[in-house]
Amino acid sequence: MIDMWKFTLRRILIMIPQIILLSILIFILAKMMPGDALTGMIDPNVSPERLEELREKLGWNDPWHIQYADWVGGLVQGDFGQSFRFKMPVTELIGERIVNSFWLSVATLIFTYLIAIPLGILSGRYNDSLLDQTITGYTYLGFATPLFIFALVMLWVFGFMLGWFPTSGSVSPGSEPGTFAYVMSKINHLILPAIAMALIATVNTVQYLRSEIIDTKQKDFILTARAKGASESRVYNRHILRNSLLPIAAFFGYEITFLIGGTIFVETIYNYPGMGLLFFESITLRDYSVVTAVVLLFGVAAILGALLSDIILSLVDPRIRIK
Amino acid sequence: MTKTSLTKWLFALMLAMVLVLAACSGETGSEDPGDDEDTEEPADNEEGTEEEEEEEPAEDDGLFSIDDFSMDKTNQGEAIDGGSITFGLVSDTVFEGTLNFNFYSGNPDYEVIAWFDEPLLYTDENYTYTNEGPASYEISDDGLTFTLTIKDGVNWHDGEPVTAEDWAFAYEVIGHPDYDGVRYTSDFANVVGMEEYHNGEADSISGIEIVDEKTLKITHHETGPSMVTGGIWSYALAKHIFEDIPVADMSSSDAVRKNPIGMGPYKVDSIVPGESVVYKKNEDYWRGEPKLDEVVLKVVAPETVVNELETGGVDLVNSFPVDQFPDNADLSNVEYLGMIDNAYTYIGFKLGHWDADAGEVVMDPDAKMADVNLRKAMWHAVDNDAVGNEFYNGLRWNATTLIIPFFPDYHDETIETPTFDPDEANRLLDEAGYADVDGDGIREDKDGEELTINFASMSGGDTAEPLAQYYIQSWKNVGLNVELVDGRLLEFNTFYDRVEADDPGIDIYQGAWGTGTDVNPDGLYGRTASFNYPRYASEENDRLLKEGNSEAALDVEYRQDVYKEWQQLMVDEIPVFPTLYRSVLMPVNNRVLNYTIAPGEYIRHEIAVSEEEPLVAE
Repeated sequence: MIDMWKFTLRRILIMIPQIILLSILIFILAKMMPGDALTGMIDPNVSPERLEELREKLGWNDPWHIQYADWVGGLVQGDFGQSFRFKMPVTELIGERIVNSFWLSVATLIFTYLIAIPLGILSGRYNDSLLDQTITGYTYLGFATPLFIFALVMLWVFGFMLGWFPTSGSVSPGSEPGTFAYVMSKINHLILPAIAMALIATVNTVQYLRSEIIDTKQKDFILTARAKGASESRVYNRHILRNSLLPIAAFFGYEITFLIGGTIFVETIYNYPGMGLLFFESITLRDYSVVTAVVLLFGVAAILGALLSDIILSLVDPRIRIK
Repeated sequence: MTKTSLTKWLFALMLAMVLVLAACSGETGSEDPGDDEDTEEPADNEEGTEEEEEEEPAEDDGLFSIDDFSMDKTNQGEAIDGGSITFGLVSDTVFEGTLNFNFYSGNPDYEVIAWFDEPLLYTDENYTYTNEGPASYEISDDGLTFTLTIKDGVNWHDGEPVTAEDWAFAYEVIGHPDYDGVRYTSDFANVVGMEEYHNGEADSISGIEIVDEKTLKITHHETGPSMVTGGIWSYALAKHIFEDIPVADMSSSDAVRKNPIGMGPYKVDSIVPGESVVYKKNEDYWRGEPKLDEVVLKVVAPETVVNELETGGVDLVNSFPVDQFPDNADLSNVEYLGMIDNAYTYIGFKLGHWDADAGEVVMDPDAKMADVNLRKAMWHAVDNDAVGNEFYNGLRWNATTLIIPFFPDYHDETIETPTFDPDEANRLLDEAGYADVDGDGIREDKDGEELTINFASMSGGDTAEPLAQYYIQSWKNVGLNVELVDGRLLEFNTFYDRVEADDPGIDIYQGAWGTGTDVNPDGLYGRTASFNYPRYASEENDRLLKEGNSEAALDVEYRQDVYKEWQQLMVDEIPVFPTLYRSVLMPVNNRVLNYTIAPGEYIRHEIAVSEEEPLVAE
């Protein structure tokens, strides 16, 4: 167990330079983007002198390392700065959006595993049957289909043609927060994007589970179990499944990384105001403080996801606790 | 390396490439820079598909003309009592939520505010102030002092009357040194005492005098015809709500973001940040109780706006991607309204640079494009009517002068401008000395040196690339070697950054301007205008622009003559040439009554519906 803690601690220590490097990269890249939040405002009714005055006042003309120091200074106090375009603190803005993304991610994960586990088990248990080939066929299709096209097709079919689901937003206009109708409306709005994302995200897990099961099936202890006269369902449910699911659990952390990439597309298509849409908007608006904050959070989430995976994996399989 | 691991690596590599490709196309698929921006900004080269679907029954050739569209909705059926409509805010981005005319910056916010607040001075179809609005105005004989009187019965949503103090307060806040918005312009600096106040040297603005509770006098340094189209800041700021908030914190306060207040026909009932707003009617509206009970505003992505219209998801929209019109021209449940857009596309020639210290344009006589005959030949070489028909189904068409038909009083149709005539282009180039010395079919410059013209054009939309290639091909046909800057289209921000910085690698560029509602072109072509991207200046130009906005130009006929002369000057000198005029189309659900997109019509409280539910396309 001591080993375990040592490993975790070491893993966390490695994260620190990772995050520092990440923050520098993000900041420089954001500043390298052509234009700033005021460039888009080339408008005869807005005077360029005023824009220059604002740039000076907001410190956008300072050298990058001074701006970086200011930014990091705020970060350690939990202050991401002020969004220029939204005219509100970035922390507050992200707080507003992250809730939406969180629930969308949770729903996506639930759907992902709801689909992946039965399909993976069926496919692994009856491998090389027609059923298996169908499922594998689906996973290949899933690999090949770009999420942003698939999401658009889903929106068109289930949103517009059949009209089963709302087509944009995260809640019906005018719903009263806190009421039952509000919660139902929220859920109703996230089902379609979550399913669209899950149908694509799940194919990895299905494949993974399938090959794990096929692999385990041939292990000696399964032969032993069979030889002892255990029933087929007992062999599968107790012996094979247990052993095959462990690596899937470890894979969970990496799912987070996929979710981040996925939400950017899905939220844009469904006009679902979460972090992905915020990321996209802040780049088009050149709202630096928001861009850097969102990307930093994404980066940290990805690093934490990897950490989580490693920890789960090391719990499951002590061999990988590298010295 | 064994064979299996090699295959594995190959597979991994391919997988990685697929992902990269997917990511790339994802970017281009959804990026449409500038669409989310104010319409009065440089319009990008957005939109337009080149699909020539010839299925429109009205026109045999699949072409449309803006003349066939009305600005007013045809009423179908009788109005019912009350009712609710859904307004689609078509935008890639959410509205930012700065819900006050005095603080907002993006156009989406403007659309949200316009339902619950309104200007104190209305404007007419020529965008000139009238006395029909919540306030009336009188100008002193010298044209410098405006006496503004707010009408009785004009109240804020909370019942407080709108007062002269509220109006003056808007000036005080926007002019305040701590103000963080973009609305402070030369129109403010034109108020006597404003600059001292803005620089923190004075505590009050000496040129603004509150006469009584409803009357206000504003004195200016200079006057001209622009004074009555935009010289007055006509949006009040509720002093009783904002006076306790420090100016720097106002734009992020709840009074702007969560409980915005106005004096318009509808009140904000609830806001889902960035997504939707529900408005209820303001029974106390000064022009009478609105007919609708409720208006719902929701953000709609440009990709899905047609589906929303078809299914009745929205009744009205604030803008409609014109390129989607040809395929959807016969939607049975909507009527398309149309008008001429206040924007034009143009090709600009870099003729000098911006002197930041002097704050003015400096022409460079040795610039590559300095010969006016070269510029004229390039105008003759392109067929803009063909571009309008092929790329935009006739909904954009050949432009002539720089004062667009959006300003019917000033646009001069009689001016002859170069049209598509390659022979004339060749003749001009031959005469100007651009001969093909080495016989490779490409003209050299006057000294016999190789001539390559670098063309900057913006990415965005399906037509940007073929359109740029069309222009390059047309110029090649008259022997000019034109190449894209960097060999590709430039992203919106990069484009304007480089054009603005007078990048020596750019000789010509394709841009677009929104003109706003003031005809005065000084802000785009004046000697001291930093938006004068061709960096063109001449004394004649200075004179005409000055006269066009002088006191004498308060006389419309005089002003028309001046601007006629200016339009002619621009056709003779060609610092830029306009390529396309544009149209705006606005689909409206058939159940909506009393609606119009005509300028100068304030009809939001008149809008009614003939059915409870939106009509759905058959």
